Amino acid sequence: MLGSWPSIDPHNFSQFKPNDPSNSKRMTPVTYRPTHDRTVPPPDQVIGPEAKNILVRHFYQHAEEKLRTKRASSENPSPERASKVPSFCL
Amino acid sequence: MFRSNNVAARIFERQISSPAPGTSVHCARRFYENIVPSHTIFDMECPDILFRKFSDDGQYLITFSRNHQDLIVYRPTWLSFSCREQDCHDHELPSKANKFESFFTQLYTVTLASSGELICKDFFLYTEKNQFGIFATSTAQIHDAPAVGGAIQGIPSIEKITFHLVRLEDGVILDERVFCNDYINLAHSMGVFLYDDLMAIVSLRYQRIHILQIRDSGNLVDVRSIGEYCREDDELFLNSSAQCTPNPDRNRTHNIENGLDHNQHTPEAPFLGGLKQRLLSFIFRGIWNEEDDPTVRMQCLKKKFYFHFQDYADLVIWKVQFLDRHHLLIKFGSVDGGVARNTDNHPAFFAVYNMETTEIISFYQNSADELYTLFELFCDHFHSSSKNSFYMNFLSTHSNNIHALEQLRCNKNKASSLPQFVKKMLATLPINCQSQSPSPYFDHSLFRYDEKLISSTDRHRQSTDHPIKFISRRQPNILKFKIKPGPESGSADTRTKKISSFLFHPILPLAISVQQTLFLQPAVVNIHFRR
Repeated sequence: MLGSWPSIDPHNFSQFKPNDPSNSKRMTPVTYRPTHDRTVPPPDQVIGPEAKNILVRHFYQHAEEKLRTKRASSENPSPERASKVPSFCL
Repeated sequence: MFRSNNVAARIFERQISSPAPGTSVHCARRFYENIVPSHTIFDMECPDILFRKFSDDGQYLITFSRNHQDLIVYRPTWLSFSCREQDCHDHELPSKANKFESFFTQLYTVTLASSGELICKDFFLYTEKNQFGIFATSTAQIHDAPAVGGAIQGIPSIEKITFHLVRLEDGVILDERVFCNDYINLAHSMGVFLYDDLMAIVSLRYQRIHILQIRDSGNLVDVRSIGEYCREDDELFLNSSAQCTPNPDRNRTHNIENGLDHNQHTPEAPFLGGLKQRLLSFIFRGIWNEEDDPTVRMQCLKKKFYFHFQDYADLVIWKVQFLDRHHLLIKFGSVDGGVARNTDNHPAFFAVYNMETTEIISFYQNSADELYTLFELFCDHFHSSSKNSFYMNFLSTHSNNIHALEQLRCNKNKASSLPQFVKKMLATLPINCQSQSPSPYFDHSLFRYDEKLISSTDRHRQSTDHPIKFISRRQPNILKFKIKPGPESGSADTRTKKISSFLFHPILPLAISVQQTLFLQPAVVNIHFRR
């Protein structure tokens, strides 16, 4: 089977029939209870694809970055400044 | 990838092994190293037509009659002949190989231009899904047209521009859209951008971006018109508002000051256009957000915004492209640059505009390093290949090909000034729709060729007498095939300037080269194919 991996619910795998008929023992998996709730997904979470392509996403990201960095831009006052090339994590 | 260069060995290998995930097209493309258009028929007899291009799926060859009135569509077939003798491989081709009709079958001729109009020979857009073609006819251009009815000064006027939607299968004209007394840049489809079923047409004269949808039934439907108004109901709202009545006294004095003295004049709108307002407020808010201190903020605003306010307010839309179904990349510049051929000396700006929320997302000058970095990394996404267009998804650009990127970096290092290089690269934005040929022979990972003499970009080039070599990438220094435009022995007259254009079939090993001199001499048409 899946080795001795634990499961959150002891009733999981109760309908499992092993291929090897000699080993007909039905195993109830070891149960565990997590001691924290950091990994629980939020109850209203919906996972879906990103509608915007990567180029448009970068445009939005740049716009947000400019809103956030209010301090750094005052060092270079002219509007035609050669802006620093941002580093990307790809 | 294949272990051998031999085509039979490659076919056997293809039978037993599957390519790495996501690389099936690239693997299949490697067969183009073996199958090349190595044979040329020089100066073939062909009808007196103007060649436009092959459609992107390779089904049709689009040509126009010499008088710019008719559309003639051909189906590319292949030369076929039979030979009764036994070892035929070394025989010469039969004389009918020299004829255009052996390679192409005429499907139909359709008259698009009525009297007084001419078809724009550089304009053709294709929707692959429905096999619709979009063509443009126009009357003559009028320079120095008066700026009436909301038009801006300095842009010429064309009495009538008609866009025709033609079903290429049988040549039926499904729909038309007419623009009167307007100016749309038709050369190389610059003023029109097609994305899936959406068309953006830039009216330079009235500073509007018309968004049209091409329905499957073949109808052109207006979606919205951006420029003066942003949302569909802005006009209704403004008209119903009591504050919108124009002031006739102010207009009359304004006109007399300008020396214009026409009695009939439409009242000028008291507000700047909707898109311009969005742009100015975006610039304002960007500068406002930079500083926290009110005094410094006001100083910044005065220096960066109010000082340049009239320049910003006078910006005109030059060109537009779709980035996706909701976002437009709009190029702004001064009025003079709108119709000029060489826009290097004119300042230009780029804005990303969301059509649905009517917001400007970002604004860059044409020397912005940030925008250049995005262009270098994500050039493919500027080409906006939609899911319907299979072949256009595999263009070889510097964003997806290491050789093209090396070439770009090499040019960048050789450039004398980096801001000038950035401006030159960004001058290609927004890109011309469907201007790149999807032919695998332009794939940089398969072949190396001189980009100055030939490239996937669809435009005329200066012609040389030497053949253009396509050298294999994987087997360095092995010449795979040559494309030689012009007559076989070279032209006798080396002084006249000759220009060449190349039409590569997207799938078959077939290419047409057309060499023309600038005078009205007949063009020399060569056909290059795999014998």
